Amino acid sequence: MTIRHHPKDSLRLAYVAGQMDPATALIMATHLSLCAQCRAAAADDECIGGALLEGAEPMPLRSDALARVMARLGAPEAIHRTEPSADGTPAPLRAFLGHELSCVRWRRLGPRLGYVTLYRRGSLAMRLLRGAPGTEVGQHTHRGTEYTVVLRGGYSDESGNYGPGDFQIASADLTHNPVADVGEDCINLAVTDGGLQFRSRVQNVVASLFGF
Amino acid sequence: MLRRVAAFQDRQAFQELFAHFAPRIKAYLVRGGTASQQAEDLAQEAMLAVWRKAAQFDSNRASAATWIFTIARNLRIDMHRRERHPRFDPADPFFMPDSPDPADSALQTRQREHQLRKAIQALPPDQFRIVMLSFFSEKPHSQIAAELDIPLGTVKSRIRLAMMRLKTLLGDES
Ligand SMILES: [Zn+2]
Repeated sequence: MTIRHHPKDSLRLAYVAGQMDPATALIMATHLSLCAQCRAAAADDECIGGALLEGAEPMPLRSDALARVMARLGAPEAIHRTEPSADGTPAPLRAFLGHELSCVRWRRLGPRLGYVTLYRRGSLAMRLLRGAPGTEVGQHTHRGTEYTVVLRGGYSDESGNYGPGDFQIASADLTHNPVADVGEDCINLAVTDGGLQFRSRVQNVVASLFGF
Repeated sequence: MLRRVAAFQDRQAFQELFAHFAPRIKAYLVRGGTASQQAEDLAQEAMLAVWRKAAQFDSNRASAATWIFTIARNLRIDMHRRERHPRFDPADPFFMPDSPDPADSALQTRQREHQLRKAIQALPPDQFRIVMLSFFSEKPHSQIAAELDIPLGTVKSRIRLAMMRLKTLLGDES
């Protein structure tokens, strides 16, 4: 799998530093599961975290801290192994869903589009989206940033072509009309902050009815 | 030492680890804005997690300090969020093929981190401060900018500069 589109360094850093909302953290974790390059970069970021921890000016604990902890030492955990996924669902996504991607119960949005909303908090929403080959989403802009990771298939828009593992950052100023590639269904995980604004009035009504 | 803890459930080794890391974890949390009492409790919890999870530590992948950083970070995230927080499992069999396997990678990891530590200390103070804050603070960059009374763009460019410097150094080492 050749991944050509990656999250920005600052986004990866925020993930590694632990300053991220759960939705963006899941999309990052999903990309990391698919992208060896970003995994290596994230390991370097963690290494910087480790070096900062090592170099931190120690702050003494209460005098009884060690005794309290020693008194609580129990049996160590056995090594935990993530079970391999039957259909290649990235582990963080599978953990969030509670099942494999192939068991998702899609809600229909017209004959060729499906979606499931996985998370919503304020203006932030995370969804799985599924488009039949060749489906057009429709010309739209974003009220805020939209992150997308391709899980299956691929799509193209004005900014390029996105295949499995690719991470698209669509900022508020991008107007695009993603079209699912021919071949297989395109399945994406997307996080939007602020919702979509379609060019077509009908689509805007539909979108608002469905909570997009 | 961590490996002694893992292999033999060595309490003596654990005490030494505790003496070294617990006060650093507390410092990491307090500098990030956690209240002192909570940082104290969390540092103890983090060390308990180190004991519990010691078997998962892989010295080829990360140094003890890096691994313990991730444990403390995860506990801090969990403390603040009632929702479960997604994170990826570096031991996921899905991507085992690209994990490092040479026998000397543990040594390389240690050398890398040693170099990094020196490089971090050599950063200009304004860059050092921002890197420290961006790793340790619970606050988003916008809030860091407000507190330091500098524009958000400056925060971002300082982080970028500092990270580039550190990464160049890491790149040179590998
Ligand atoms: Zn990547």
